[in-house]
Amino acid sequence: MLTIIKNTFREALAKKIFIGYYIFYAIVVLFMLFIVNLDAVEGVISLADVKQTVHMVEKGFLDLAWALILFFSLISTASFIPSMLEKGTIDLLISKPISRMTILLSKYLGAVLFMFLSMVFLLGSIWIILSAKSGYWDVQFLWTIPFITLTFAIMYSIVVFIGLTTQSTIISILVNFFLIFVLCPILSIREGMIFTFVQNTAVQFVFNFFYWILPKPGEIKDIAASLFMDKKINFWATSINLEAAEFTASWMSLITSLLFAAVLLSYSIYYFSKKDY
Amino acid sequence: MALIETQNLSKEYSSRFSKQKVNALNDFTFTVNKGEIFGLLGPNGAGKTTLIKILLAITFPTRGTAKIFGTEVKSHKWKNKVGYLPENHRFPNYLTGEQVLDYYGRLSGLKSDTSLKKKIDEYLETMGLSQWNKTKIKKYSKGMMQKLGLAQSMLSDPELIFLDEPTDGVDPIGRKEIRDILTNLRSKGKTIFLNSHLLSEVEMICDRVAILNKGDLIKEGNVDDLTRSENIFEIHTIDPISLDLKQQILNIDGNAGIGETEIHTELGVQIVNNIIDLLRSNKIGIKGVSQRSSTLEELFINVIKQDNVA
Repeated sequence: MLTIIKNTFREALAKKIFIGYYIFYAIVVLFMLFIVNLDAVEGVISLADVKQTVHMVEKGFLDLAWALILFFSLISTASFIPSMLEKGTIDLLISKPISRMTILLSKYLGAVLFMFLSMVFLLGSIWIILSAKSGYWDVQFLWTIPFITLTFAIMYSIVVFIGLTTQSTIISILVNFFLIFVLCPILSIREGMIFTFVQNTAVQFVFNFFYWILPKPGEIKDIAASLFMDKKINFWATSINLEAAEFTASWMSLITSLLFAAVLLSYSIYYFSKKDY
Repeated sequence: MALIETQNLSKEYSSRFSKQKVNALNDFTFTVNKGEIFGLLGPNGAGKTTLIKILLAITFPTRGTAKIFGTEVKSHKWKNKVGYLPENHRFPNYLTGEQVLDYYGRLSGLKSDTSLKKKIDEYLETMGLSQWNKTKIKKYSKGMMQKLGLAQSMLSDPELIFLDEPTDGVDPIGRKEIRDILTNLRSKGKTIFLNSHLLSEVEMICDRVAILNKGDLIKEGNVDDLTRSENIFEIHTIDPISLDLKQQILNIDGNAGIGETEIHTELGVQIVNNIIDLLRSNKIGIKGVSQRSSTLEELFINVIKQDNVA
């Protein structure tokens, strides 16, 4: 397993897109360094409640960077599965004394581990810069590293499944982006907005059904933000207080998303084990 | 001792968008014994690669059983005793030659230690790739890639090696080197399963061959026996053969080739005897009778033609 994970790292580093990916991260870190050194920002930090200001900056950064991180990381890793399935590559892999499950899981874990280390680099650097500047070492912010990695791991299970069934990098990227940036955000505002206009119970049931079976990347980000901002997290369902403009995340969003990934990965392993190459 | 055994192995492929099924392999039953070089021959689409893929559990059979080392091929445990060089293999092109062997060596179950490094150096040396060991393989030629693939298949010192077109893209000197390596492996008791289009090569090194056509096993046996079974005889006479005698010979074998002092027949020993009797009764002296075995290529073309007609 370690051999395949190590090779997935090599594959990632060999891709030019990853160089761009890290240059982008380095620019983000340098930009952050520049911003916090501006006189105006220094003034704000010294005047305002340091803890609150740091939380605001962290939240703002997370809201902005979350989509970009998922966008870049999924684009750069989506080809791992289709390239593994190429004729002449997969035959040789399967001919080795390793189970097909190990091959697929190693490839999956390799990509997730690579993402985790990228997050350690990016979010760790941001945390150090902010903490060093403000003097407030908000350790809770580091929760964003495993939570963004988890979001990636959940969405990457879709990449694995579509990569296996269609052997197409493009289709797996498109389906993922449709889910992350279109369908899931629509489903997550169903109660606060859509159900105000759509009162048909059958339609509402369909919306609820898809909301609960599909992954909820946006809500997982909200859990991470709630953790470092010391906000309450519900267990069962998210709630919105429109008057106070307050949103409360729920652990169930994470649990159902993890279940979705587990089911999809299990089916992908089953499919891969039975497939002729 | 049989290392590979199949019983009524069949494979049907069905298209995702149509109900039409293609039989890639039909009730294929055969054995490969320990220590032999077994050649698999057949035209394109005959089912050769499908057979290798079923034996390595890369593809699953529709019916029948296949065993390697007495174990059902579905399990992957026995694969540490097997080496494989696929046709048109693709190694990760971001690796160097040395890294490719290290990667596949570890996947084959070799421990990453100094002995693996030593083995890698040895095989690169044997294949003449030592000076390219640190070069990314995307810069390798087709022949170099093929040699690297062969080294990869042998690295874990397997008891059984499957080679699918191992000399594809290799120059004649390289082909000779590969033949020598394979012969050397046989002398060490290794079993080699060879799939090659180069019939002359197969004839030179294989002990036994099987010929497939449209998924059917149409001929199997020892190379010498198979080529000898299609006997061609030539009778050389001392005296010239008259026109009248030529006609009488043609009455015995209508396809006989008859020259001034030479008769060529492909109908076997009995016909040769009949012609000799005829020559002797006509007081024609016989200088000699020679038996020429057909080449594997001639045999291959004949049996494929016959099978296609049938």
